[in-house]
Order: sequence, then C-alpha cells, then structure tokens
Amino acid sequence: MTDTRVEIQLSLRDTMDDARMKAIRSDFPILTRTMDGGRPLVYLDNAATTQKPRQVIEAMNSYYENTNSNVHRAVHTLAGEATEGYENARTEIAAYFGAPRDHLIFTSGTTEAINLVAYGWARANLSKGDVIVTTEMEHHADIVPWQILSKERGIEIRYIPLERDTLTLDMDAFEMAVSDANLVCVVHTSNVLGVRNDIEKIIQLSKSKGNGGKGAFVMIDAAQAAPHERINFLEMNCDFLALSSHKMGGPTGIGGLFVRPEIMETMDPFITGGDMIETVTLEGSTFQKGPQKFEAGTPRIAEAFGWHAAVEWLSPFDMKEVHEHISNLARETAAKMSTIPGIKIYGRHDLESCSGVVSFLHEKIHAEDLAHLLDSGGFAVRTGHHCAQPLMEALGVSSTARISFWIYNTKEEANSFVEHLTNIVKRFG
Amino acid sequence: MTNWPAPLTIIINEFKECFDRMERYELLFEYAEKLPHELQTEKWTEENRVKGCQSEAHVECKLDGNGGFQIHGAADANLVQGLIAILAIGVDGLLPSQVACLSPNFVDEMDVKASLTPSRANGFLNMFEMIRNTAANMSEGA
Repeated sequence: MTDTRVEIQLSLRDTMDDARMKAIRSDFPILTRTMDGGRPLVYLDNAATTQKPRQVIEAMNSYYENTNSNVHRAVHTLAGEATEGYENARTEIAAYFGAPRDHLIFTSGTTEAINLVAYGWARANLSKGDVIVTTEMEHHADIVPWQILSKERGIEIRYIPLERDTLTLDMDAFEMAVSDANLVCVVHTSNVLGVRNDIEKIIQLSKSKGNGGKGAFVMIDAAQAAPHERINFLEMNCDFLALSSHKMGGPTGIGGLFVRPEIMETMDPFITGGDMIETVTLEGSTFQKGPQKFEAGTPRIAEAFGWHAAVEWLSPFDMKEVHEHISNLARETAAKMSTIPGIKIYGRHDLESCSGVVSFLHEKIHAEDLAHLLDSGGFAVRTGHHCAQPLMEALGVSSTARISFWIYNTKEEANSFVEHLTNIVKRFG
Repeated sequence: MTNWPAPLTIIINEFKECFDRMERYELLFEYAEKLPHELQTEKWTEENRVKGCQSEAHVECKLDGNGGFQIHGAADANLVQGLIAILAIGVDGLLPSQVACLSPNFVDEMDVKASLTPSRANGFLNMFEMIRNTAANMSEGA
C-alpha cells in the first residue's frame, strides 16, 4: 500500500527568499535529520520549544570544554571567566529586551518567573480582599500560583472571559474588572489560539484605571511572544515580564523575570541559599541585592551562555519580517487546512498579529491519533490541552492538535504538511 | 518464540505483513472497530480507567458463563482502542490462569510498540498489567 498522492496547489507567500532560508536552516543541525522511512524531519512543535542553532550548542559546549566553573565566589581564572560570561549574558540578554542588566532575574523559565512574582512579590505586597485579574486564555503557570495565593490569603481572582465568537479577550469585561485590581496577569500571545492580546491597551487600562485609578501592577507572560517580536520591557511599561529562553532558540532550563529595581526591592526571596546569600549567622541571614537575591543555589551558568548566544543569533533579524514570515505560514496553512473535510481550526489567523500557532481537530480522528499519523510522515506536532485547560473548556474541547511555525520553517514544509494531513483524513477519516 | 493463543497469533501475523507504519496504524484502526465487548461510555468510571494513558481508555475484565475470560473496554482514540480490541480478541474465552501467564511481548512481535509514544506504550503496559493481575485474582478465586 502506498500513499495516495493528492495535488494541492498552495500559494504560500514567502517573505524569506530561498537563499536566505537555506542559510538560516543551515544553522540548525537537527533540521537535517531524517525520520522513519527516510522522510525529512518537519518540526512543527515550536510553541513547545524551538530547535537550537549551532551557535547556541557551540557556546554551551565551549563553556563546558573551556570555562566550566562556579560563578561569583572563587578567585581562580576559570571562575573569573565563568562569572564574566554569566554576567555578560545578563547584560546582553537584558539589552535585547530593552532593559538594563539589573532588571533581569534569571529563572528556570516562564513558570518559575511567574511563581517568583506570586511568592516573591504578591505574598509581600497583597493581602486579604485584594484583587488579581487574569484571563481564561492563560497557561496553567499563570493560573495556579494565583489560585494557591488566593486560598492562602483570601485574595480575589477575576478571570476575563474569551469572547466565543472572536476568540479574543472581552475587553469590556476587562475594563470593568480592572477598576479595583491590584495585579493584572495576562498572556501576551496565546499558545493555543495564536492570538496576540492587545497588550498595549491592557497595560494602559491597568495603569490608568486599575486600583481605583492609582494603577495596578501588571505581569505579562511573554513566553510565546519573544520568538515572534522584539519586546522592549521599559517601553512596554509593565511591572513584570516573564519569558523563556528555549522558545526563542536558546537552551531549556533558563528564562527570566524582568522587574524594575525599585519593585525588586519590595520582593522577598522565593528560594533561599547558595548564590543569593550575603551573610549567614545562627541568628539570621542577609541577602544579596538586585537580581542575585532571587538566584539561589548555583545558577544556570551554561544555560546563560547559551541564551546569550541565542539573542546574538536573533539580533541581526528584523523581527517584524520574522513575524510576517511566521504568521503568513500559519495563516495560509490554516486556510488550506480548513478546506480539508472534517478539520476544524481553533484560532484567529485572519488577524495580522497572529503567531505561528494553528490548533485543530478532526471530527472523527482523535487528536492523539492524528499526532501519531503525522509523526509517521516525519511531522512533529503537539497534542493535548497545552497546559491551558480553562481555555480548552471555553472552546468546548478537551484537547487539540497543534502545529506551530518558527523562523526556519518553509512554505514547502507547510505544503507537505497539508498534503500529508489530507492523505491521513482520506485514509482514516 | 512464545506460544501465543491462536487468535493472537493470527493477528500478529497480519501485522507482520504490513508494509510500513501507516499500514500498521490502518490495521489498528480496523481492529478498533472490532471490539468484541465494547464498554459503553456511560460505564466509563475512574475505577476502570487505564492509568498513564494520555487518551481516555477504560477496561473491565469479566468471566462468561463458561468461566472464559472477557475484556470489556473502549477508548476515545482509535489506536488505543485498536490495542484493546486485539488484546480482547486474543484472550477471549481463555481460562484466567492462561491470561495471567501471557506476556505483553506480542506488541513487539507486531512491530507496533516502536510506533507508540512512550506515554502510550506505558499506558498499554499499565492496561496489560491490570488485566493480568485481574486474571490472576480470578484464577486464584476459582
């Protein structure tokens, strides 16, 4: 039995010319891998984690081969080089996000960054009766810490609903809810719908109308935004910005929380010991100042080197062009997919701001089965609730299949994905 | 080489003839339609849910009027339901003591295990273990 070949005419616009795309792809060794049956890997799970350019892999290898040492304490040469590299990474990564180095706390990723806001800032600054506004669109990492805090401290949580017809946040509900909010926590770009929220308006409303007009604190989950657009923390004017390295070409295990120093000073340490300590006596302890106060234990040194290499790799790109390339792939692939019998798309790919995510289901083929069948063709896709169960409930489903594009994906890959999906539906639907 | 029950041997051979992974999946989809004792969704409970399986899968073991083993099951994903069906067909009517001695290696023989994600392979092994334990208990009680 052989694949039924179908003729599909796609007209994906390609904003990256072939030579440029070839150069980009040549930086990613994993993209040359072949899968079952000698099929090329088509990696479409970028919203979960992106692949890493060789510059990132080499930076981490080089660190371990030449520099490996613990940072901040020892006086030997290796420790000095490791410390310099680690702190230089902080400077350059912070600069990439438009902030001075003392605004960036390294965390394990977005989840720990949000938990740091909850355990470090909110516990020290919010009390019974205070209000946190968040949304139905959030990742579990931006729901559960607030639920735990709410239970502990009697803090009220208000969830802004998704407008079922537009799949965007109900901004009227937001405007009403924010009036006495102390903290607003919103995802910048949905990991399920590909919808980019009107973050600028959300921050402006939170600052002008929140907390009875005194202004609410704002935390933005930018995990899905950083791979798509150039974010400037200071221009954005939020109070906390959480993101992950591994979704923008960097290694797993590191991310960051951007916070202004005057707010950082009002935060308590979340995890204690190791690198965050200044002095310890049997009577008590004092802590380091600035970001280091929140970086307990031995920090993620090799990962910082790797993330630094990732922002250096991304820096020469015009991120508006990158976004256009990715969103065009998503938009036109979603359009083609929606013509396949039984396929339903979840998202708003008609919006210019849409990310590279396309969530979908088939009326008869279970999402997990779809993922297995797509994998047999070399297509790496995601299935499940994507750590966004309240959003799944709002959509009336328990899970979806999801493809997500990034900078190295091509129109040929998008075409072959649609072709393979069409074959699957013909054969199994 | 293990001696499988005759119905299971037939199925194993059928899978061995498959050309590629897609054909094996197609066959699993076909078996998903052949559940000998389908467990209706209203009978899906936490007690009969297969743990460690990402999709919903439910299995109950019973004895027929002659003391023969029966697997009643179903899943929301066809690949999982296909595996349940193969197991249910393979052991249908056997003595519980025979089921208790069965090895899960037949999925390797079918070359299906390599096509499953670790979570699905674990889910299958959990299901298999649950069935084998139930069969062992039934056998002791007989």
